[in-house]
Amino acid sequence: MDEKRVYMVTLKGGAELTGGKTSLTAAELELLVLIDGIATVEQIAKRIPLDAAAAATMLAKLAKDGYVGDPDATAALTVRAFLKESEAGLASLQASGFSVRIARRRPDRAALGADEKLTVLVVEDDAALAKLLRTYLQMEDFEVRTAATREEITKALREPPKPDVVLLDVMLPDIDGFDVLAKMRQHETLKDVPVIMTTAKATREAVLTGLQRGADGYVTKPYDMPLLLHAIYIVLGLPKRADGAWSGPA
Amino acid sequence: MVRPRVSSLRVELDALVAEYRRELPQKLAHLDALLAEARLARLKRELHTLAGSAGTFGMPRLGEAALAAEAYLDSCGSRVDDAQRAELGRLLALLREASATIERP
Repeated sequence: MDEKRVYMVTLKGGAELTGGKTSLTAAELELLVLIDGIATVEQIAKRIPLDAAAAATMLAKLAKDGYVGDPDATAALTVRAFLKESEAGLASLQASGFSVRIARRRPDRAALGADEKLTVLVVEDDAALAKLLRTYLQMEDFEVRTAATREEITKALREPPKPDVVLLDVMLPDIDGFDVLAKMRQHETLKDVPVIMTTAKATREAVLTGLQRGADGYVTKPYDMPLLLHAIYIVLGLPKRADGAWSGPA
Repeated sequence: MVRPRVSSLRVELDALVAEYRRELPQKLAHLDALLAEARLARLKRELHTLAGSAGTFGMPRLGEAALAAEAYLDSCGSRVDDAQRAELGRLLALLREASATIERP
């Protein structure tokens, strides 16, 4: 195994991170996020709790499927030159974190019955944004609950029916969204509820933390509502109808 | 045909966007006051909130400006000197400029 071998994220790999849906495992997504441009096997292995051989095996699979490339020296140089030329763009990305829309598909569930509704719990401390999300999701025929504080979250999670999906803001006034996620994943009845983390500022570390703690998706604000809805359908495992539309609650 | 309930929710959606924009000058003035009073933790939190919401309400430039101000404040630590305070004042003024640019949410 050559630990100095360079890998880069391909366009397909980039699209997997930003396209709003993915079939990759959490570990594979982590690898893509970690590569973040180009990196050697050695560099990647240092960033994850895997030895270099395990990282190389996973990279080989991702390369086979076209998510990462294995550039020769010329291609790597070209990428580096491109990154240098795009310094202004990179600086802006670094200042603003980076935009991600990751949603991991759950196993397909049955299409909903005519009167069946799905419940979304929106955990968001910005009251105006919470109202906007509530209204938009109601238009899509979801039942919507909102919560902003630790106490409200606890109450909303206990209230029947159990939420079908949770949109969970990372930064909350009196509790960390990641802690809420961790507690849900340890809870007997809530551990399988799909959770999409939402944030205005996504650092690489924050995305990794969310994925490692069992988030099904990660969406950065500002919200693109159709894409947010798409992510919700993906993590709910809702099937598509014959006409290509989602068989959502609407 | 648009269902009556969806139609009323759409009206509500438009009203929420209008309300957000109407309250914006007050929110921006509040940010200036927080800087003047050196309540930096609160200022950071308010900028973070604005960064998250403005784009969704059809003002992406305002969201980006708020994110830039938050990132600068992050880099300053828990206290700011005069030069940093002036730079923050400039960044907050940019928010006001950016709030004039509205796109459809």
